[in-house]
Amino acid sequence: MIRLRGVSLTYPNGTRALDDVDLEIEKGSFVFLVGHSGTGKSSLLKLLYREELPSHGEVYVDNIRVDTLRRGRVPKLRRNIGVVFQDFKLLSHKTVWENVAFALQVTGTRTKDVMRMVPRALDLVGLSHKSRMFPSELSGGEQQRTAIARALVGNPKILLCDEPTGNLDPSNTTEIMELLQRINLKGTTVVVATHNQAVVDRMRRRVVRLEHGRILHDDERGYYFRGLGATAVLPR
Amino acid sequence: MDLGRLRFFLGEVLANFTRNAGMQFTAIGTVAVTIVLLGAFLYARETVQTFGTGVLSQIEIAVYLKDGVDDTKAKDLGAKLAMDPRVASASYVPKKEGLKRMKATLGPDFDTSLLTSNPLPNTYKVRAKDPDSVPNVAAWIAKDPRVAKTDYAADTVQKLLKTAGVLGRIGIALILLLSISAAIVISNTIRLTVFARRREIAIMQLVGATNMYIRMPFIAEGMLAGVLGAGVAIGVLALAEHQVVPKLAATLAFVTFRVNELTLCLELLAVGAAVGLIASWISVGRHLRA
Repeated sequence: MIRLRGVSLTYPNGTRALDDVDLEIEKGSFVFLVGHSGTGKSSLLKLLYREELPSHGEVYVDNIRVDTLRRGRVPKLRRNIGVVFQDFKLLSHKTVWENVAFALQVTGTRTKDVMRMVPRALDLVGLSHKSRMFPSELSGGEQQRTAIARALVGNPKILLCDEPTGNLDPSNTTEIMELLQRINLKGTTVVVATHNQAVVDRMRRRVVRLEHGRILHDDERGYYFRGLGATAVLPR
Repeated sequence: MDLGRLRFFLGEVLANFTRNAGMQFTAIGTVAVTIVLLGAFLYARETVQTFGTGVLSQIEIAVYLKDGVDDTKAKDLGAKLAMDPRVASASYVPKKEGLKRMKATLGPDFDTSLLTSNPLPNTYKVRAKDPDSVPNVAAWIAKDPRVAKTDYAADTVQKLLKTAGVLGRIGIALILLLSISAAIVISNTIRLTVFARRREIAIMQLVGATNMYIRMPFIAEGMLAGVLGAGVAIGVLALAEHQVVPKLAATLAFVTFRVNELTLCLELLAVGAAVGLIASWISVGRHLRA
């Protein structure tokens, strides 16, 4: 589903975000990208939805080579990828319903289909009863669930989450992670970049750890720190 | 057409448009000023042109015949003139007839009792088919041995038209400059709207909206500003025509103020829309590429 081959990314200011990264993510899997801030987690996600282009290497998403994709083809690629951010990126003057519908409307979906798909997405994230509220009237967790509904409403094959729980308290964090797990169970490939150790250690999913733009380790059913359970005393 | 989609689109355009109301007013005002000038210019040009060609088509070449040329010889000349393809008509005015006409024109103050003989020559009044050929035709006729002299009033008219032409070019340059400034104001307005909506644009790009789709509301907005500006201008022009033209017509009785108003209005609206379209296309395009 996702494949990176010898990918490096150097920003114009000389910062090396990724350094010769090889990574393969199977269809339907759930993967944590972990590491400190500035180790290239966000950059890696950005390569997948072609917000950034690699300086070297090849990027494949759903068998499409992304790094050489023509500009005109990018919208089609992005309709296959849902993206969720730490700061939700909701439109404050639109209601929950309108925020979710927006993703369909601006991609030219027929109204009939919008009316059918939006309730389904809101139902999935459990916000059907708040569809007429504005983001400012919602809790952080609810705002993030709105953002997830927006990311998923077009039925993408992949969901990318960049620090989805970074702005949330522990109970909302749990709620969001359970939601992501449910989404994954329905067959969507989910990639979560996070530095929330508790979340990673509790879920016991595949963990890819980045450090200084390189993959430090890659474990099935891994921990945030290799070989250390959640109970261990951590050097910080 | 999907009505829901149309409503969503129009809603987005309207939301855009009202967000920067102040800037929009400036843009509309600039377009309006430009188009008022453009309209007035086009109006004046059409009037001068109608007037000029009207006058030119009425220009007569007066062909004065030599003294010894009698009526029979004059008729020969008339036949020669009538055969020339450039000549529309050639009418003979014998000297008696010429004097009669002069009396009729000048009225009772013109005293002929002192004249011992008729001082006027036999004359042909010649009209050319094409006003532009008047000088050539006159020169050609003057070469005939029976002709003493040819005369026509075209010099004045041609000077008038030449002046009108120069003024026209200056006017076009001025309007071009004004259009550019109107386009810059619209483009800045659109850039402000783009900036105000950068979050929306970012999300649209993220969820896979095409650049064309993202661009459309801004283009529509720019065109709306252009068309509204043109509308205001047309209102101002209509008012001006209503107020000013009757007074002008009273003073300049020989000028006809007949302009095809509907065509002019449509032209002005089209210009407004085009200025808005080009300006917004450029400013949004710049943002999307960045």
